[in-house]
Amino acid sequence: MKKKTTRILAMLLAALMVLSACGGNNDGNTTPGDDSPSNSDTTGGNTQTGTPPAPTNGGDPIDELVVWEVSSNEMETFLMAHSESSRDLDVLANNYSALLEIDNYGHLNPAVAKEWGTEDEGKTWTFKLRDDVTWVDVNGNEMDKTTARDWQTAMEWILNYHKNDSKNVSMLRNLIEGAEEYYELTQEMDPAAAQALTYESPEFANVGIEVPDDYTIIYHCKVNCPYFATLATSAALYPIPAGLAAQKSVEDLIAIDNTTMWYNGPYRMTEYVMNNSKTQTRNESYWDKDCSLFDSVRVVMIEDGNMDDMYWETGEVDQTQLASATSQTILDNPSDPRNELVVSTRLRKYSYQHMFNYAKNKADGTPDTDWNNAIANEAFRKSLYWGLNYYTTWYRGNRLDPMVLENLAYTMKNFVYFSDGTDYTDRVLSYLSEPIPAAGKDETTPRRFDAEKALAYKEQAMKELEGKVNFPVNVDYYVKAGSSLDGALVYKENWEETLGTDYIVFNICEYVNSNTQEVYDPQLQSFTDNGWGADYGDVENFHDQILYGVDGAFYSERYSNINQIDESVNPEVVALWKEYTDMVLEAKQVYDLDERYDAFAKAEAFLLDHALVIPYNYSNYLQMTKINDYTKKYAFYGCQNGMYKNWETSTEAYTAEDYARFIEEYEAGK
Amino acid sequence: MFKYTVKRLLQSLLTVLIVVTVVFLLMRLLPNDNYFTEDQQMKLNIEERTELLRQAGLLDPIPIQLFRYYGQLLRLDFGTSRRIQTGVAVMKIIESKFTVSMRLGLTSMAISLVIGVLLGVLQARRKDRLPDHIVTAYTIFVNSVPHLVSYSLILVFGARVLQLPSMYSTRNVGKSIILPIACLAMGSIAHYALWTRRYMVDESTKDYIKLARIKGMAQKDIMLKHVLKNAFVPLVQYIPASIIMTVGGSLLVERFFSVPGMGTLMTDAINRYDTEVVQTCVMIYAALGIIGVFLGDIAMMIVDPRIKLAGGGETR
Amino acid sequence: MSKLKQDELFRVIEYSSEAAERIGYSNYSYWKSVWHNFLKKKSAVVMAIIFVAVVIFSFVALAIGKYQYSELVSNTKLYFQKPNSEYWFGCDAIGRDYWCQVWYAAQVSIKLALLVAVGEAIVGVVIGCLWGYVRWLDRPLTEIYNIINNVPTIIYMTLVSMIWGPSFSHMAIALIATGWLVMARNVRNIVLMYRDREYNLASRCLGTPVWRVLTKNVFPYLISVVILRLALSIPGTIATETTLSYLGLGLGIDTPSLGLLLRDARLHFLEYSHLLVFPAVIVSTITLTFYLVGNAFSDAADPRNHV
Repeated sequence: MKKKTTRILAMLLAALMVLSACGGNNDGNTTPGDDSPSNSDTTGGNTQTGTPPAPTNGGDPIDELVVWEVSSNEMETFLMAHSESSRDLDVLANNYSALLEIDNYGHLNPAVAKEWGTEDEGKTWTFKLRDDVTWVDVNGNEMDKTTARDWQTAMEWILNYHKNDSKNVSMLRNLIEGAEEYYELTQEMDPAAAQALTYESPEFANVGIEVPDDYTIIYHCKVNCPYFATLATSAALYPIPAGLAAQKSVEDLIAIDNTTMWYNGPYRMTEYVMNNSKTQTRNESYWDKDCSLFDSVRVVMIEDGNMDDMYWETGEVDQTQLASATSQTILDNPSDPRNELVVSTRLRKYSYQHMFNYAKNKADGTPDTDWNNAIANEAFRKSLYWGLNYYTTWYRGNRLDPMVLENLAYTMKNFVYFSDGTDYTDRVLSYLSEPIPAAGKDETTPRRFDAEKALAYKEQAMKELEGKVNFPVNVDYYVKAGSSLDGALVYKENWEETLGTDYIVFNICEYVNSNTQEVYDPQLQSFTDNGWGADYGDVENFHDQILYGVDGAFYSERYSNINQIDESVNPEVVALWKEYTDMVLEAKQVYDLDERYDAFAKAEAFLLDHALVIPYNYSNYLQMTKINDYTKKYAFYGCQNGMYKNWETSTEAYTAEDYARFIEEYEAGK
Repeated sequence: MFKYTVKRLLQSLLTVLIVVTVVFLLMRLLPNDNYFTEDQQMKLNIEERTELLRQAGLLDPIPIQLFRYYGQLLRLDFGTSRRIQTGVAVMKIIESKFTVSMRLGLTSMAISLVIGVLLGVLQARRKDRLPDHIVTAYTIFVNSVPHLVSYSLILVFGARVLQLPSMYSTRNVGKSIILPIACLAMGSIAHYALWTRRYMVDESTKDYIKLARIKGMAQKDIMLKHVLKNAFVPLVQYIPASIIMTVGGSLLVERFFSVPGMGTLMTDAINRYDTEVVQTCVMIYAALGIIGVFLGDIAMMIVDPRIKLAGGGETR
Repeated sequence: MSKLKQDELFRVIEYSSEAAERIGYSNYSYWKSVWHNFLKKKSAVVMAIIFVAVVIFSFVALAIGKYQYSELVSNTKLYFQKPNSEYWFGCDAIGRDYWCQVWYAAQVSIKLALLVAVGEAIVGVVIGCLWGYVRWLDRPLTEIYNIINNVPTIIYMTLVSMIWGPSFSHMAIALIATGWLVMARNVRNIVLMYRDREYNLASRCLGTPVWRVLTKNVFPYLISVVILRLALSIPGTIATETTLSYLGLGLGIDTPSLGLLLRDARLHFLEYSHLLVFPAVIVSTITLTFYLVGNAFSDAADPRNHV
């Protein structure tokens, strides 16, 4: 009996060991024989793709790049048409090729389409395709040619109500001839019948995509669309391989993964382990033979966006976004060798605004008349416009250069230019009736901040609103429960510091789980901070979101609720919104770009003059990096910013000096 | 024995079903906004969102949804994921996660069982002397300092001082698994040491041990052949259960070391309102828990022939 | 050994009714005995004093601190200030005094832990006694036990805080709702074990009412177990709270807890160790002392250890 116990124990342990030792390496979708990033046939000579530019700081170019992403941003689908989220698109842009491509200046370049253009002020657009683009599977075996059919397949797929769950559909419905009709037709059909449709079905014939031969696509727009080419970089106009779609049922196509999808982009995703890592391996059959690519790029998923600092120290990643504590330590200590390695990233594509809620409710569902009357008052809004000093908030975001984050216009800067090279937002600022000084009073004062003006407007507002509003006005600002409060607390101080708590009281409120159901649907917030990132390369896209009385203006419907302002109580503010909307609608009818932008700039100046919306900030962050950000794609629209193409990298981390030189070279190359 | 097993099995099925139902209902209490991505939440208006929810069957009366789900289970269809990996079968997703968690859990268990029992034996033999005190201090430390703190220390110490990889990597499983296992094992070593010591001390005051001593048996033999063996009986009952629960994965450890296991899948699925994934995960947890208890009883019966399984459906 | 005569071995003493009384009646008092036993363990007494001192000091500390928790403001100049004579525990990531935050949070955590412990004890003992005594309740209670026990607590906690939102009371209720289980099971086992002991049967046959059997003969055995559970529950509550805070599911926004502080500090404790060290030391002191005191008290409360 004694022996038996020992034996059982031993067997138990042995079994455990065996169990734990087995399992091997197969917990991801690894392709057999292809998980080593440097395949012998690609490392030898760079015969197929161009040589990476030699770094200018003494290091060697990186062959196997390692970057990171936060786990909560893990991708959800491998079918580009089925995603509207950057968490998928940033990855997949490396696996599919679009008609056109953005470069590091934000210009459109040929990709699968070698030529494109319009001859009737943007109603029809013709794209001529290359004939040497192929689809390969995950192992690099050629499956098919990339032809115009793939774009037809994608268009049909997206417009088909029973195939794509309405994802990516809104822009096509608004722009493409016959798209809306086809969408509604499929919606009324029986699911199985709708799913059986293809681009060859007669029902689809009326949709405005014409394919005269395998390598030509003609799009027919409902309206003049001078910016249509910029749409070619968005997920809605990426291809779906017709050959693959023909093989798979709708369910199977939605459920494709890296091992079953086809690739025509610069990389094949040879390994995917959810919430852990993915490996992009260079696609030898990629059509662009002159570009420089990495042998492999590994994206590791980290649980916490601040852990990357540690991974940088241990050499596990090639770029780190600095947490405020790390940057503080480094920058406060001049003898720290990392001191010269801290550099800013480029501005992200979002232009953040304070979007006021003009029809706010209290928590019990009754209208918050204090707030609604106050925000309808122009002096009240202007006191906020001039009286918010965000220095401390920006300092938390970018210690090196906080003021670079100050945003003065509604549209993103560097987004569009007049033909003489003037930035659109500069034109907007020149039209303002109360001009904003070119620089703040001192280093810690934002350009727009003016305490005197703010206090004068405060006094005016308090006088005008006497009897209508009980001061102080409650400002309800919502944060997600459980998130760190540091940012919100600093924010609260920014609001109350100059204007005083006898005027406004800033309340930090929390929602539990879903801001849509808990905050926006019941209209509880006083304002939200929105950063619109453009869908395509036209100013119109920014303004479309905040129009009065127009369908599909997302911000008006979701955040500002301007359509619900009680006109009998506050007619002035409604009149202002209507006037602004008319100006925008007129500008949309102008097709000459310079005149068009000028008309939009006037409307935008009107918007800001009356402080209907208050521009707040841009975002970027501090980093240490081995990547030259100025060689990355830099687009304000589309989904190609995540492409690892033509990047300049160095095994030695870049210094602030290097970065200063990059900026200089970049500006010179404009 | 056979009759007993069948009865027990049926009872267990009922328990699993109840657990799944409870979680099913809890999930329906969550706001269904997270069914949509952030972009969809902004770009779709309420009618469009309602339409999509209706299509997915999420707006049907709860009893109907529930019975539809039971029907699905009867066909052994666990559904497809919506937002973890769109359109992919839930079982396929869980499979890969489960392997990782299992490997991690079992390895750490095996290690901590061996080390923990050895430490416990050492303590019992050197009771009230230095080794005993040291291990007791360790046990107390592990039990009282929050894991968040002790894991942070392990992470930093391991990564910075020992230069071990702090991220789980499929390329280098052996090395990158060291720190997560250290974290997992730290707690269970203390657990096993504590109980081994306690049972052995209890056992060694019993009369038959005194007799053995008087007989002149060697202290070592008494300890191994009588004390440890008898002390092991109560311990063995809990081993399968705890092994199986660790297979479920430790959320904290998985998060810390980016281990793609069950724990993180579970919270992600809740956050993204992926009901089918959550339900299936919970079902697996419940089944594992029950199997663990059952195995524990059997293990105890094997180790101690005096114990017979009775058909009474007793709780432990 | 010298041989003694028979009559030298024994001698007759006078009958005293007083002395007879004394033998017939024991002046054994349960609580006195517990107390006596507890005091014998010097290390535990020291720990108990430390624990009480920390609790009291958390109030004193807030009173003598230079800043009030409700009036804290951020200051860019003071980001991550190291401890000094003005800021005794230094400053946090946005330049606010850390001393008052830590002590305030310590109070919240202690309050939560004690509340949960007491709640668990009450619910656990009541349900445990019913479970052990009322036979038809055995099946449903066992089922409930299985339902709660077979799914990791963290999943229930996640769902609860996502459905009802994180707040002090929700957290306390949720922790009690899952924590009473172990207590109830332990109590049930003890009740089952002692319910049908011969002396209890005898006592009941002699007409002692059930409640008296329970309180006099079974209850003392329970106390030891209950206290041991409490000793483990307090560190457990604090640990669960830190884990949940780390996952963003902790207490409400205006209730800072040690868990929240630890979560925020975790990221930069290499550079600014004071942010982690102070809350961690306090957490550990509370849990450690309570654990040891609880263990000692549980030993002392076990009637089997009484003379």
